[in-house]
Amino acid sequence: MDADLEETLGTQAHAQGTPMSGSTIVTDLVGVLTTASSLFIVATGLTLVFGALRLINIAHGSFYMYGAFLATTLVARVPHVGFWVALVVSPLVVALLGIAVEVLVLRRLYRREHLTQLLATFALLLIFADVALRLWGKGVRGISPPSAVQGSFAVGGAAVPRYDVVILAVAVAVGVGLWFLLTRTRLGWRIRAVVDDPELLSASGTNVPLILTGVFALGAFLAGLSGVVIAPQQAVQPGMDAQIIVAAFIVAVIGGLGSIVGAAVGSLVIGIVQTLGAVWAPSWASTFMYVLMILVLAVRPWGLFGTPER
Amino acid sequence: MRDHAAVLLRAQALTRTFGAFRAVDGVDLTVRQGSIHSVIGPNGAGKTTLFRLLTGILRPTSGSLELDGRSIGGLPPHVIARMGLAQAFQTTNIFPRLSVLESVRAALVSRHRRAGDMLSWFHRSLAAEARDVLETVGLGDSADLESQTLSHGDQRALEVALALAMSPRLLLLDEPTAGMSPFESQRMVHLVQRLARDNGLTVILSEHDMDTVFGISDRVTVMHQGRVLADGPAPEVRANDEVMAIYLGSQA
Amino acid sequence: MTVSNGLPSGASTVERAPDLTSAAPTARSRPWLQALVPVALVAVMAVLGLVLQADPLLTLDEVLALVVFATATNLLLGGGGLVSFGQAVFYGVGAYTVALGWLHWQLGFWVTFFLAPFVGAALAIPIGLVALRARRLYFALSTLAFSELANQLAESRYDFTKGANGVFGPFVPSSLTDPVGGYFFLLAVTVVSLLLMWKVHHSPFGLVLRSIRENRERMQALGVNVYRHQLVVFVVSGFFCSLAGAMFVVYSQSAYPELLDWTTSGAPVFMSVIGGMGVFLGPAVGAFIYQFGHDELVRYVDDWQLVLGGVLLLIVMFWPDGLLGTYARARWGSRRRRGARDEEDADA
Repeated sequence: MDADLEETLGTQAHAQGTPMSGSTIVTDLVGVLTTASSLFIVATGLTLVFGALRLINIAHGSFYMYGAFLATTLVARVPHVGFWVALVVSPLVVALLGIAVEVLVLRRLYRREHLTQLLATFALLLIFADVALRLWGKGVRGISPPSAVQGSFAVGGAAVPRYDVVILAVAVAVGVGLWFLLTRTRLGWRIRAVVDDPELLSASGTNVPLILTGVFALGAFLAGLSGVVIAPQQAVQPGMDAQIIVAAFIVAVIGGLGSIVGAAVGSLVIGIVQTLGAVWAPSWASTFMYVLMILVLAVRPWGLFGTPER
Repeated sequence: MRDHAAVLLRAQALTRTFGAFRAVDGVDLTVRQGSIHSVIGPNGAGKTTLFRLLTGILRPTSGSLELDGRSIGGLPPHVIARMGLAQAFQTTNIFPRLSVLESVRAALVSRHRRAGDMLSWFHRSLAAEARDVLETVGLGDSADLESQTLSHGDQRALEVALALAMSPRLLLLDEPTAGMSPFESQRMVHLVQRLARDNGLTVILSEHDMDTVFGISDRVTVMHQGRVLADGPAPEVRANDEVMAIYLGSQA
Repeated sequence: MTVSNGLPSGASTVERAPDLTSAAPTARSRPWLQALVPVALVAVMAVLGLVLQADPLLTLDEVLALVVFATATNLLLGGGGLVSFGQAVFYGVGAYTVALGWLHWQLGFWVTFFLAPFVGAALAIPIGLVALRARRLYFALSTLAFSELANQLAESRYDFTKGANGVFGPFVPSSLTDPVGGYFFLLAVTVVSLLLMWKVHHSPFGLVLRSIRENRERMQALGVNVYRHQLVVFVVSGFFCSLAGAMFVVYSQSAYPELLDWTTSGAPVFMSVIGGMGVFLGPAVGAFIYQFGHDELVRYVDDWQLVLGGVLLLIVMFWPDGLLGTYARARWGSRRRRGARDEEDADA
């Protein structure tokens, strides 16, 4: 799964040229930022859901895959603007799917132990995987970036793909949007409070189940969004669900589950490790990633920005 | 009368801070062998933090802590427990899905240092000993029930039984009668008295109910805002106006 | 901008794992009855070995390896309340010990087969030391990381492991490539392993382990070094998981990276849940259902994962004690209603 995972992470092994030339530095930097951006979008949804629901959603990978598959369908059906339509529609459809999952399954399991929730979402991953096979088949699909952002532009002698800027912009928008939501709005305050004291929140007139459903839908939305964003960059195919979930776990666990800042830092760290690893020691790049995660867990078992579980 | 008995537990200038907050602030405590020693004080006075320092769940920021002349400050909880200091917790803290008998057996296995034993039936040989402990706390008839099905009072009794299974020299009881019916409370008070008088056990307890405190304690330490406000034989402390003012003031 | 710093509360009140082995009294007054079911099962398995054709025997071989794998995983899961998504590390390492021992050092099968569990146990020490620093979900994810690391190393260190292709070879002596011989060997290993694990479960160690699962802090206050205790069970589980991996080689003659993958780690967890992780033989029953379900279903439907996922979802939602667990709980309930007291059996 090594090569697959590197592909999943969108690492471009642009190791041409002399290691320290200016253009290589720019290329590496862009590689780091692009990898980190796409990881951040998917990991932040996972960590957001954990923060409010205390639940690790393995099916997050399915939402991501569905986002990508829906994008390929929409691009094929809607001429010219298919991608931009997909960028809005796919995440919304996936969010609806998330609502269904939360209401029909997870809501009944909140009072049960972690293992139950973990296994339920694992079961959902398996179910969604086979349903996706029925809907989209086994073949590899792919879309190209929309025409407006095809090609590349030159920075410091390096060719930077325009589409990389789109990914970066989406990641920044997601980060800023979440920051604003969580720290500047009453809704955000409720979301942060829901895990600490749901009874109190409920007593003060907040519809707690609605908040939980909403957060889960938002997490699914972000997973779907990341699927769309990543679709022009890599093969869209069965199995990408299980791959991305491992990558997202690594990011979220390094940063600390529940922490958005942690997800950002974790994405950057993995982006750096992946990109530089691909340059300096290609066959060890993925190993570094896991070793890094294990090191972080050994020193701070709750991640860099997380809080210890009792 | 117990002022001449040997000192079992001695804390000197014991301090624990959380950031700038001094939860326990230079507390001196001397507990003599065989006495019932109460620690009282309004909510937030630092009693629970003090107890957690004694059992090793928290590490002291500074100060010394000795059990029978040996320093225990900073040791991990399981080591302190093996040295003879056992606690019954304030909140019910049992093994919900184990039977009552099994719970006590597990504690006994630990006390006999056989927890790592994978190949014997040693735990089976503990039935009689476990029943003795259960009889002591009045749970002899409930041995085969699942622990979580017990009444609140019985769960607290089981809590004490688990501590007793460690055959401790010093028993820490954190609000042993909290949430109990008057009948259950009385039963607990009698149990504590019996353990001290008959078994020579040293007991430290924290308690809100003043009648209970002054009814059974040999010595009382009053805490307020992390510090020791008063310390002495129960009748003296009861006569201390300042104590009563602060205590009753914040209680009423 | 941390979303939440709180302890799990309210929304995720911890429900303790069911433990029916400890709560359910068994007929100790009639010890022969207690031994009757396992003995009968082994007898049936032995007879099957004599009457079945090579193909179904192969399926039974697979089941036997999975029975050991699942039961060893359940030492952590049902016994210790430790959800590991990394037991495939040991399963895979067991298989690779046989394969690589043959490939690089020309070690004979009998050496490597009995070496494999010790390699797994030795490896479990450093992994356990790190992973057990974390709790609950973090422990699960930490073990998952080790699983992926092992999988990734096996794929990328081509010179040592032959990469993604894996190692195929005639490792196994001809006495074991014979379907009946191989089957009886695996059956013997399975019986001995289960007896040993059963003893571990029903020992002072096992009792303390279950107590830690029920209430970690309380057991610590009762003088138990929880970290060390959990490390020991992690090592014991690693020992038997690696043995199961070596059993896998007996019928598959191969070792490849997927054996180390986290989805492989998920399989024994599944089996435990299906059969009931609170009952000692639950995972074994789960392994039977899983493997036969798989072999039968793939013949008729493409959507094996869909069925598996659906069954798993239904079980965790509506039947959390699993097959044997539900049975045992019903029996325990009826005993209690009758007011039956069977004092010595509380931990049998």
